[in-house]
Amino acid sequence: MATEVDPTTAPAEMSGGSRPLPDDELVRMLHVLKLCRYFDERMEALYRQGRLPGAIYSGRGQEGTHVGVTWALRADDSLFPTHRDLTAQLTKGLDLKRVMAQFWGRIDGYTRGRDGNSHIGDWQGNKTFTVMSHLPIAYPVAVGAALAYKLKGEPNVALAICGDGSTSNGRWHEAINTSAIHRLPVVWVVNNNQFAYSTPNALEFPIPTIAERSVAYGIPGVRVDGGDVLEVFEAARAAIERARAGDGPTLIESVSLRWRGHAGHDPAKYMPDELLQDYMANHDPVRNLEDFLLAEGVVTENDVDALMERVEAEFEQGYEYALASPFPEPADATKGLWVEDGYWTSEPGRAGGTEA
Amino acid sequence: MATTVKLDAGAAGHGAEPRGKRDDDGQATYLIAIAEALWEEMERDERVYMLGEDIGAYGGAFKVTEGFLDRFGSGRVIDTPIAEETIVGMAVGSAMEGLRPVAEFQYADFMSSGFDSIATVLGRYHYRSGVPLPVVLRGPSGGYVRASSFHSVNPEPWFAYGGGIKIVAPAFPADAKGLMKSAVRDDNPVLYLEHKWIYRRIKETVPTDPDFLVPIGEAAVKREGTDVSIITSGALVHKSLEAAENLAQRGVSAEVVDLRTIVPIDEETVLNSIAKTSRALVVSESYRFVGIGAEVGATIAEKAFEHLDAPVTRLSPPNMPVPFSPTLEDAFLPQVADIERAVEELSAW
Repeated sequence: MATEVDPTTAPAEMSGGSRPLPDDELVRMLHVLKLCRYFDERMEALYRQGRLPGAIYSGRGQEGTHVGVTWALRADDSLFPTHRDLTAQLTKGLDLKRVMAQFWGRIDGYTRGRDGNSHIGDWQGNKTFTVMSHLPIAYPVAVGAALAYKLKGEPNVALAICGDGSTSNGRWHEAINTSAIHRLPVVWVVNNNQFAYSTPNALEFPIPTIAERSVAYGIPGVRVDGGDVLEVFEAARAAIERARAGDGPTLIESVSLRWRGHAGHDPAKYMPDELLQDYMANHDPVRNLEDFLLAEGVVTENDVDALMERVEAEFEQGYEYALASPFPEPADATKGLWVEDGYWTSEPGRAGGTEA
Repeated sequence: MATTVKLDAGAAGHGAEPRGKRDDDGQATYLIAIAEALWEEMERDERVYMLGEDIGAYGGAFKVTEGFLDRFGSGRVIDTPIAEETIVGMAVGSAMEGLRPVAEFQYADFMSSGFDSIATVLGRYHYRSGVPLPVVLRGPSGGYVRASSFHSVNPEPWFAYGGGIKIVAPAFPADAKGLMKSAVRDDNPVLYLEHKWIYRRIKETVPTDPDFLVPIGEAAVKREGTDVSIITSGALVHKSLEAAENLAQRGVSAEVVDLRTIVPIDEETVLNSIAKTSRALVVSESYRFVGIGAEVGATIAEKAFEHLDAPVTRLSPPNMPVPFSPTLEDAFLPQVADIERAVEELSAW
């Protein structure tokens, strides 16, 4: 189990040579990490070229948290992510093609064009909550899902990914407190990327760590290195199984750094360069897993090259799919507010064309 | 027809079932009718459960849920911490997992403490995701009970504005029962506002058929008339009926339309009444500026222009906190005499 880490010094040491997952799963994990990193970089490029409408919220550098915790979930477990955790939703099973259709406002996106970018979810298919910008607002909802599992006697777990910014908000406290009172099957993961937009941790909370807040709720708190996806995974697996066994919530603080600005428009000039360089050099979850699997002989350089070719092809397929998907029909704008109009249980109109 | 009962009649009797708390003549107060509906729906559908503050052993701030804990247990009658955002959020999350929550607010005023979860999640989630949210939020609203700023609010415009949430505000016990059962069975979010001035004041014979429903979205003409239409809801239905009775003695015939549902509003019943009387008085307990009365008045002006013989007239409180002192509250909220005066001015056109 992970303990205290100093987020600014030692390079992440991968989990001691022991491999917590079968080799084929580790290779799949590397694939997802590579895909998410590549997606993040390419989408930013398209955004800067003016070829992507709306907004982007880069999760670069934090994929270890997103992939690590989601990897430990079962299909029937639910995920309550943030706009920065698209990587977690892809890990949970969302289709990259439909995710990209969402970014371009197309009918094949998961929200049928009603929302954009990473304000996405797929409750019916992959049990992920459709993200809302008021991020802490999702946490009481996660408590409700966990309450339903308990009331219905279902062995499922709800896992919520919170930003460090959320921990300053009342809803975060309400939700964790209530989940602890009723020992509900929910896992609280804080992706502490050290900045809430431009506000550093020091102006967000007056204590050294977020994990120690668990004491106030009478639940376990652990702190892991977000640069080590396997360390994150093992902490999440333990917390999830604890929740599934009826022993209540756990608070996991996974320390990372937001490598890019809050959103695509933000150059993040407030970010200390030495901090960024340290994290990019020493806490890169993608390169760390790749190096580990190479050192362990699980993959070869050729395997990694082949993986990247596959990732690039997947992105291109997604891009083509998104641009070929039609826009929603304007007349459908007012449908789907009420259940009884049947919009969401029928095939939507596809005559919106591909030119906005 | 409903009758007025003594204020201290309360939830008489201590039988477990709300129906056992009816008066000896079988009539139920508005409060008991609401409790009957909730009880019957929980008996009918095990997915229905309640959550809220002090609803369990204490039986709720107004005793609507008295006896529910003993009958349904702590798994379906859940006392929460004082955390309104979380009460609403929990209702949403459990609805996403197939349950049908009914969340109690001790006063509708405190819905503002859960505003973000109501406006942002409850009202907007289905449109973006297609996930039904069969959630009922219920709480006592309105004034006339000397309860001052934070226990007298009419919150209808707060939540009507964003769309995605049905709002019902019954005035009579039978309507209260039938609308509550419809709300619980609705697959959309429903805000169910119980007027606390009516709770123990009005009683009538209430149907016992477990499938007695009053459809959401249908207004009702509670008194026929020919000279002026009074469009109203909640406690003001009763005040309008009293005014109409007084006016009749002076030869003025007022029709009283009880909206019953605020969202979606029953335009047809409203417009049919205007077509008959050609004069509209909209009486609403929500504030005048951007209130429900403004919306109803605009609808009449827009869609019944050719029928109108007089300007559409509104009677609503000003956009200010509800004051406490009896003289101030009475001056602030529409009274029977105010309604009579407004109807007479309209009928003079």
